[in-house]
Amino acid sequence: MSVKEFVRSKVPAAIDRPGRRLASVSSLGPPGGLMLPLLALLAFMFVGPIVAIVLFSVQTENVISLSVADWTLEAYREIVRGTLSGEGVYGEVTLNTIVISALTTVVAFVVSYPAAYALATKVRRFKLPILIALIIPLFTSVNIRVYGWVLFLINDGVFDLLAGSVGLDVPSIIYTRSAVVLGTVYVYLPYMLFPIYLSISTIDDSLLEAAADLGAGRAKQFVDIILPLSKPGVIIGSLFVFVLSLGAEVEAELLGGGTVYTAASNISYSFGYSQNWPLGSAQAVGLLLITTVCGIVILRTIDLAEIASRGGSR
Amino acid sequence: MSTRSNRSWLPRLSTGLWYGYLVLIIAFLMTPLLSLIIASFDSGQTFSLPFEFTLEWYRNAVTSTSVQSAVDSTIRISVPVTILSTVIGTAGAIAYTRYSFRGREYFKIVALLPIFFPLILLGLGMSMWASVTGLGYGIVPAIIGETVWISPIVMFVVSISALGVDPNIEEAARDLGADTLTIYKDVLLPLIANGIVSGAIFAFVLSWNNYYIVSYLKGSEITITTWIHGRMTQGFTPVVPALASLIFYASLLLLLVAIVMEVRSER
Repeated sequence: MSVKEFVRSKVPAAIDRPGRRLASVSSLGPPGGLMLPLLALLAFMFVGPIVAIVLFSVQTENVISLSVADWTLEAYREIVRGTLSGEGVYGEVTLNTIVISALTTVVAFVVSYPAAYALATKVRRFKLPILIALIIPLFTSVNIRVYGWVLFLINDGVFDLLAGSVGLDVPSIIYTRSAVVLGTVYVYLPYMLFPIYLSISTIDDSLLEAAADLGAGRAKQFVDIILPLSKPGVIIGSLFVFVLSLGAEVEAELLGGGTVYTAASNISYSFGYSQNWPLGSAQAVGLLLITTVCGIVILRTIDLAEIASRGGSR
Repeated sequence: MSTRSNRSWLPRLSTGLWYGYLVLIIAFLMTPLLSLIIASFDSGQTFSLPFEFTLEWYRNAVTSTSVQSAVDSTIRISVPVTILSTVIGTAGAIAYTRYSFRGREYFKIVALLPIFFPLILLGLGMSMWASVTGLGYGIVPAIIGETVWISPIVMFVVSISALGVDPNIEEAARDLGADTLTIYKDVLLPLIANGIVSGAIFAFVLSWNNYYIVSYLKGSEITITTWIHGRMTQGFTPVVPALASLIFYASLLLLLVAIVMEVRSER
């Protein structure tokens, strides 16, 4: 923390920026006792597992105990060779993973943006019930929700009944890549919607009023003010959805029905059935790198004080 | 004055359309949950519509011994996870929101990073780490593993409500001669109590519904989500929708309580 910020924390509240102020129960250095439990926990069971993934990725085939001195890049070589030659599953898995994550991000953006915009600028009444309805699905186990989609899409399931009742006979998309994308869009949609909603909520109303006074129509206000100022939310949401959908396994397993393999389902296969920890770890390292970078970018961008002051009831 | 009436119905129509779109999104989000609930009342051995109404699967779900032991394991994991992650997360939130110190932003980034990791990655890493370190598998490793993911979420939730508390109140208490302990006990904690309770409920519901981490660390224990997962990958078992619906009802009830608390803390 810089001197400037330290001074700022000492400045009387009236001339300080609201929401940026930090109280001083004590300003004498970091509150070690409060941070230690969390940091110790993360050092042991978050950093440790990441190290384990990296170390196992350079082990020789089919070991389940570490011998650090005896390392090899064989697992990486196999993946790169497989991806380049298109032989085996790697080419298909990489393609599937990228297509599914990219499609999921784009579709989630297109679907969420109008909803986030409506929520932030149009909705006055029933705002809380709407927010609650959007949050609730997040707290039900992913596998249960995805299974709900299976029951919806399955032969003679809910969809067939609905389509049949209006005289439609549409083949279900279950067990295709589209079904997997439907699942991932479904599961990760709120991670796109809420960052965009928050960034639109933080746009100062007076900005739009000023623009209106200067003769800007609604469309121009949207294009020149709301769209650019909501960019941080769009970036955070897109990173969030992209990263999390890279980890889509249950979606591929249940909605892909064993025909669609993604990186995550392939990793879990390497661990589960073929018991090849080094190969699974080497695949996980790629995911790990992307995730860590995106996570840090997201966290550097979000401002909790901003969310606290604007995110609730505006 | 026809232009004036034009002006009043047009915005109302457009507002109506925006609401309609949000209702569509909510309907989309509720589709699988409603499908589960519909299937849970279906009397058939294989799910096909239209169907005959029955409560038999709920009765089976509640009386099944394997479900009971899964509930038992889940509770033995969720309760400690809730307590631990509430304490650890709240401490982290107080450190982040009530103190200014060097490296405060880095602390936030490190502390909240696990939220952004796909759970399958965490689960896999933890599973190998548990094997290497001799931590092993079972209830205790599952508790530690879930706490790693849930504590940061509690920290996030509590931070949001703690940032809404005016720091001048603590300043005032200090000026009036309160020591740090008194400030915590009588000023800060009561003010963020609603946030802590809602964080705790989130923790419980998330732990109860966790699948990935627990499936990699549980060892021979079977929890509700892994029990359900085992059944659902082997084709259709009618007890599964009933049990899944029951969990959804309970989560819904708890979440509504949590959200009410969080909203009250913001006012």
